[in-house]
Amino acid sequence: MSRPGEELLSQALAGDTAAFGALVRSHQRAVYSLALRMLSDPQQAEDLAQEVFLRLYRNLSSVGSVAHLSFWLRKVTLNGAIDRLRRERRYQAVPLEQAEDISGDTADTDPLLERRLRSLLRQLAPAPRAVLLLRYQEDLDPTEIARTLGMSINTVKSHLKRSLALLRERIGEIA
Amino acid sequence: MSDDLEKRLRAALRPVDPGESFTRGVLERIGSEQAQPRWGTRRTRLRWVSAALAASILLAGVVAHQWQAQRTRRGLDARRQLLEALTVTSHKLDIAYRVVNDQDDNTTASDPDDRT
Repeated sequence: MSRPGEELLSQALAGDTAAFGALVRSHQRAVYSLALRMLSDPQQAEDLAQEVFLRLYRNLSSVGSVAHLSFWLRKVTLNGAIDRLRRERRYQAVPLEQAEDISGDTADTDPLLERRLRSLLRQLAPAPRAVLLLRYQEDLDPTEIARTLGMSINTVKSHLKRSLALLRERIGEIA
Repeated sequence: MSDDLEKRLRAALRPVDPGESFTRGVLERIGSEQAQPRWGTRRTRLRWVSAALAASILLAGVVAHQWQAQRTRRGLDARRQLLEALTVTSHKLDIAYRVVNDQDDNTTASDPDDRT
């Protein structure tokens, strides 16, 4: 049975590596998914996600609570991904065939449309892409997104509105 | 339409688990980082070099300031000594002048034939 987050955090702070491992396990899904959807490269995403947890290990004392831990992880992951994308100047589309590797768990939805949506998401610039991920993957409201990305709420709303309009238009073109 | 797109986006962006090997990888990286010597990582070395450089610059500044202060103090001492020496010399010359003058006055007063 998994231990409660706060207890794990305090045990990890006390130097319990197993507790830190449990913390990693409970947050790796969110961190890796954000990295993956930002970078569109499973290997790079894994490298970035591991780096994020290494930074967490080094800065564990500055993370006071589990609520702040989630905020911290999202912020560091997205900033790290945006930095990498800026360094490599690559946010062009990845061919659809490669999208197979980065799909989520299968469910009774339209897999082709989902692939197309993920592909369209990769065509967005890093900042609006991060906004969409926090909204629809992490289920955050615009205020929380603004706080995580250090943007104004109006900028977040504007990114959401424009990105959704663009996706709707492109999806419409296909259909 | 908007709700439908949002629903589809949520479905398309379902989180993906990187698997159990991911946690192992993180813990291994932490282990290898801890196994490195104190001077091991590049970042640590860079931090130490920066700190040493800053300390050296600070020390050089303090030494230069002290050297300059000592130099000024020595200059002021030399000036004071010179002024003292000049004062003593001037005083001695004054005494000698007065002695010579007194002798001349006495010689003139004791020889009445010299008067015209």
